[in-house]
Amino acid sequence: MSAANFVQLLLSGLAMGAIYALTATGLFIAHLATTRLNFGQGDFLMFAAYLSMALLLAGVPVALVMAVVIVVLALMGWGLERFAIRPLDRMRALVGGQYSWILTTMGVALIVQNVVTLVWGKSSQYSPPLFSANRQNVVQVFGAGVFVEELLVIVVALVAILLFYALLFRTRQGRAIYAVAFSPETAALLGVNVRRTVVLVFVLASVLAALSGVLVGPIVTVHPFMGLVFTVKAFAVASLGGFANPLGILIGAILFGVVESFSNYINSAFGDLYPLLLVLALLVIKPSGLFGEAKTDVR
Amino acid sequence: MIALEKVCAGIGRVQILRDVDIHVDPGKLVLVLGANGAGKTTLLRVISGLVPLWSGNLRFDSRSIAGQPAHELARSGLVHVPQGRQIIPTLTVEENLIIGASHLPGITQETIARRLEAEYERFPVLRTRRSLAGGSLSGGEQQMLAVSRGLMMGPKLLMLDEPSLGLAPQMVQRILGALAGLARSGISVLLVEQKTMALEIADHAYVLKNGAIVHAAAASDMGDHSELFRHYMS
Repeated sequence: MSAANFVQLLLSGLAMGAIYALTATGLFIAHLATTRLNFGQGDFLMFAAYLSMALLLAGVPVALVMAVVIVVLALMGWGLERFAIRPLDRMRALVGGQYSWILTTMGVALIVQNVVTLVWGKSSQYSPPLFSANRQNVVQVFGAGVFVEELLVIVVALVAILLFYALLFRTRQGRAIYAVAFSPETAALLGVNVRRTVVLVFVLASVLAALSGVLVGPIVTVHPFMGLVFTVKAFAVASLGGFANPLGILIGAILFGVVESFSNYINSAFGDLYPLLLVLALLVIKPSGLFGEAKTDVR
Repeated sequence: MIALEKVCAGIGRVQILRDVDIHVDPGKLVLVLGANGAGKTTLLRVISGLVPLWSGNLRFDSRSIAGQPAHELARSGLVHVPQGRQIIPTLTVEENLIIGASHLPGITQETIARRLEAEYERFPVLRTRRSLAGGSLSGGEQQMLAVSRGLMMGPKLLMLDEPSLGLAPQMVQRILGALAGLARSGISVLLVEQKTMALEIADHAYVLKNGAIVHAAAASDMGDHSELFRHYMS
């Protein structure tokens, strides 16, 4: 492998890793506050990618595309909580009732898949670039030609994650989320509107899927069934953070993306396999995640 | 400040409280004594809106509060310090203190800072632990934190569920001392306990047994402790 190849693979891996971090953070935040999550997180990402592609092709400016996709996905997150998750809470007493959200969120994912297939067709498509003039726009980094698009995806995704962490650790809403995660009753006694906080985490999770979808569109091919792979990978990455540790998720995601990038280069037929095997191996050694131990937080 | 009239409530279909009448006047410290399972915790949970009221009247600050959601009651000055302290272990001591206050409508940063300073004066140990995770504190420190966290919300009525649980006697004395000070400064306090230690600081006391009030008197008239014990422990 040449040095140029190495740099290219590393940056591709970082770009995908940053996107996995966004997607997995969405799973993490919903699970933290409610012990529920959206099994269609990857399909929300897929829908965001399609929506963004359609708007970009229609000539809508990038900033507006971002805004529209974020608002639409935020509404989907609200709807998911309101119609696919909340009604089940009343039936919690039923046997298995506390796990029926798995089925309903997957059901919503299937609906999203089929709507996308209906509107945009089954075949793979290429989304136009967000930041550069065309998909093949390349700059030289350490002597290697690197797609501008990938570099900017890394930057935007990392900025988004840092902003999200700031929200989680530095604001009133972030403290409310941790209070609800600890105990909804205690949170209510502290004046936290639990219902609103639960809606907020699902909206946030969907917004993270929206960002991931907009960013991932131009660096992969989009098709209606790409979602499940993203859900699975985000799940694996969130497990590396023990579903509790945002820093573990970020580092796990980047590790996952880079390993995936190199494994695709070495064995393109089974490229997706090796990073998942690596996650399994890591979880055997450290079942509670990379920085698990007994701690649930790293601050 | 708070008045319960013929309050009945339960969990699921099981009735726990039967026609409970309790009054806490402004600036008074009222103690509810009861054995394990007498319904003390349910009593506080009904008042703070965590458990629905079946029948009867609940008035706080002379308006009816039945059916109001818990977080709204907490914001309006009815503060409940739950059993087992319920410190959020992942947040720091200071974040635990701020969290309740920061959800009050229209509160300013200055007010929060001023109250924070007052709580650090009340329990200086909290200042030295301010940036540690809440989960790393000892039981006594956590109880002080729980009391301070409630006071940060500027309560008109502070309700505490067995603050003495699992604490050494000196620590209990310290917590009770702080509560007595609160009542003197005009905050109403409703304390439920299994131990009679708090009779010394209370103005009025009730004895709860099998979900009903079986005895009510001025704390000083509760008299012979051993007889009191027989009354509610059996």
